[in-house]
Amino acid sequence: MIDARDLRKEYGDFVAVEGSTFSVESGEVFGIIGPNGAGKTTTLKMLAGLLEPTAGEAEIADLDTQTTEMRERLGFLPEESPLYEEMTPVSYLEFFADLYDVPSDVAHQRMHDTLDELDLEHRDRKLGDMSKGMKRKVAIARSLINDPDVLVYDEPASGLDPLTTNYVIEFTEQLAEQGKTIVFSAHNLFHVESICDRVVIMNEGQIVARGDLEQLQDEYGETRYHVYTTVDVPEAAKENGHFVRVVGSMDAVEETRAAAESAGGTVVDIRTEESSLEEVFLNVAEAGTRGTRYVGEDAE
Amino acid sequence: MQWDKLRRVAKWEVTKNAGGIDRRTLAITAVAVVAMGGVAAIAVAGASPGLNADIYRVGVEESSPYYGVAAADGSFRIQDPNPKAVRRGEQELAFDGDRLLVPPQSGKQAAALSALRDSTESYNDRTLAREDNQTAAFPVSVTVVYQEQGGPNPLDPRGEATGDDGGTDGSSGGGGATDGSGEGTTTDGDGGTGAGDGGGGSSASGDGAAGGGGGANLGNIGARLTGDVQGGTPSDIAPPFPFESLVLAFLYIVPMNFVIQAYGSSMLSERLNRRGELLLVTPASRGDIVGGKTLPYFLGAVGVAAAITAALRFSGVAPSGSAIAVLAIVPIAMLFLAATFCGAMFARSFKELTFVTVTITVSLTSYAFIPAIFTDVTPIALISPLTLVVMDLTGQSVSLSEFAFSTVPPLVTALVLFGLGAGLYREEDMFTQRAIPLKVLDALAGRIKSRKSALKMSAILLPLVVVAELVAVAFLFVLDSVSLNVFGTNQTLAVVIVLGVVAVVEELAKSLHLYAGYAHARYERTLRSAIGLGVLSGLGFFVAEKGLLIARLSNLESLPVGNAALQGATPPSGVPLWVVALLFLFAPLALHSVTAAISSVGAQRGRGAYAAGVGVAVLVHIAYNLTVVVSLA
Repeated sequence: MIDARDLRKEYGDFVAVEGSTFSVESGEVFGIIGPNGAGKTTTLKMLAGLLEPTAGEAEIADLDTQTTEMRERLGFLPEESPLYEEMTPVSYLEFFADLYDVPSDVAHQRMHDTLDELDLEHRDRKLGDMSKGMKRKVAIARSLINDPDVLVYDEPASGLDPLTTNYVIEFTEQLAEQGKTIVFSAHNLFHVESICDRVVIMNEGQIVARGDLEQLQDEYGETRYHVYTTVDVPEAAKENGHFVRVVGSMDAVEETRAAAESAGGTVVDIRTEESSLEEVFLNVAEAGTRGTRYVGEDAE
Repeated sequence: MQWDKLRRVAKWEVTKNAGGIDRRTLAITAVAVVAMGGVAAIAVAGASPGLNADIYRVGVEESSPYYGVAAADGSFRIQDPNPKAVRRGEQELAFDGDRLLVPPQSGKQAAALSALRDSTESYNDRTLAREDNQTAAFPVSVTVVYQEQGGPNPLDPRGEATGDDGGTDGSSGGGGATDGSGEGTTTDGDGGTGAGDGGGGSSASGDGAAGGGGGANLGNIGARLTGDVQGGTPSDIAPPFPFESLVLAFLYIVPMNFVIQAYGSSMLSERLNRRGELLLVTPASRGDIVGGKTLPYFLGAVGVAAAITAALRFSGVAPSGSAIAVLAIVPIAMLFLAATFCGAMFARSFKELTFVTVTITVSLTSYAFIPAIFTDVTPIALISPLTLVVMDLTGQSVSLSEFAFSTVPPLVTALVLFGLGAGLYREEDMFTQRAIPLKVLDALAGRIKSRKSALKMSAILLPLVVVAELVAVAFLFVLDSVSLNVFGTNQTLAVVIVLGVVAVVEELAKSLHLYAGYAHARYERTLRSAIGLGVLSGLGFFVAEKGLLIARLSNLESLPVGNAALQGATPPSGVPLWVVALLFLFAPLALHSVTAAISSVGAQRGRGAYAAGVGVAVLVHIAYNLTVVVSLA
């Protein structure tokens, strides 16, 4: 559905994105993560047709992202929600429905259904008088007013309180279940972890890792073993009447078992813990831009 | 451009802004506009009907030539002529046909007679203005007087004046007298002593003594000081101050300033907080968006002009007002909006926008308004489309060539400005916080795609050059009276300054886009490339410059300063073909290419070198211009 090939974007002498290549399948939820200034937003804007790549190509449904036809099939949500504050949610959504040639009756049905799902009340209140969370919901409703196949969301839960954030993330999950293809970026890696099928990690304008979450964890994460003993062993901490030592390999587990037995004790439990996406991201970021690492199917 | 999308954006622009203005503000604005229009209309009419209505009782029968005059002027109440009533003070004037039955005996009766005389003149003017054959309506008679040389020169205004008969009538001195001794041609013979109009020459006004004494045009002022004239309007000043033109031009230009405030604010608000970003991802193109957002303001400006014209026409203030007045406003509205659009795209905040709109208001108002005041005085007035408005409203015919000369340059300039501004209407330029000069360079660089763009950009920028040079002519022609010796020839200060202005404007137009191209790494920074780009830029400018032939549609070249400014446009008659080819083809082409190459070489080395390069190019250009003007002198 989405195909980006060697995207590059320059602002004068500054290279914001370089050699960005990836593809997204229809119905897939694709995450782009990275630190501030990594090039996430620039990449999303090139996908949305807002920015013209300095080099490379981006296509959505075999349409160049700079074409009008592509825009008709796209829903874009920028990081901020810059709305026309003198308008009401209804008039604002009517305006955009008009630009997308959505028939009035269809537009009304669609906007009220979406606003119902987003639990937005006060639909005749001026947007300038609304809270940030309410504005975000209107912005999301706007991105869906043309019933797009592809959604490009830049930090959809940015700056929202936890309750609204969960609401927005759950709504995005629902959209994915409806078969929408979604590309989105987020600082909060928990959100990406919870809904994304695959991710790319960007740093300093380049994609430094890509793959599905499990594979990325295998490649960049680590498995930690929590070894619980009945006696104190080196580097152990006391927890719930036992002693626990966290180690990173099976050899270390065996060492811990031997230490416990030599002290007259025994190992009572061993638990494993996988790295979170956040830790994977930190590991990748620490590794720096050593070239893109492909894992899983992307490696083929 | 998709008209359907454009229309929708326009519709929502109106809806959105309507939601942002409360009804009280709208009501106050409407009242202010109506009041302004009313005051101006009354000023144009020259009298306040509320104050002057029916103040003079005139006894006149329908068969009298004065009946129509009195009926058309609200100051007069028509009664049956009654000499006895006049003597009792119950009637101010009484006529039998065109004969005044009772001479004025009181101040009010004298004032009534004076008012009737003025009203008669206006009535006659209006009647004649409606004539198809204007030459027949306003014939010119010239009296040639041969005088022996030696002794006091009667044509010398400082000479001894006779002033014996210039003021016996004074209603319409037609002889073109220059000293007040001319033979005023009696047209109505009512024996008045009112101000005369010298017609062809400097006016001999007032009575003979006043007109002939000093020769300077102080007759009315002197008369007013001595109490010979009751009241006085700007039209009493000699030469007559074009008060009517001023008010009419003012009436049309003021609403523009309100419109651009709202327009600039709306455009800038799209840029602040990235509000316009979401429109850019819709199927509407930026042309649709800019066009749609501009259309309501354009229609508003033209609609206001149409309403003013209709009001003036149907109220009788300017019965000759027609669609020409409205059509002539179109390029002005476009130019105001285009300049404001560019300003809104360049400004970083509402504070900066304020400075930008004030600059635009002052500049464009000067361009449009000041020449229009002198509609009847000089052909330079035609550089402003507002002059066409005044001409139309005052019953003067407007030829197609005059219309084209006045409207095409500002219209094309507006389109160029819209094009430059629209180049910035994209995500990566709209929301950046760069200084205005850098934004200008961004706008120019946005249009540069290849080396050929150097040629194209010089041609595209020509309309701005034309307008700037015409404005220079309009503002400098008054300096025609100051002479300078230039290379042994006598040139006016205006000509010399205009040549300098022309050089600066043209060299900037040819080189600024080259500098923008270098600044945005569009061009290779080598000497060879710089010279090549300069030649291309000069060539583009030269070809487009031939478009200045539009100047032939005006009489601008009848003025020395106009001729100097437009020297490259029109070859003089009677010159051999090879000279014409040399002077008007090869030499200008060489000039533009060489000077543009000089600037280009500087531009590829950086800002300081560019400034130096332009400076040298300007000096070369001025030297060339002076040489041409001196050669043709």
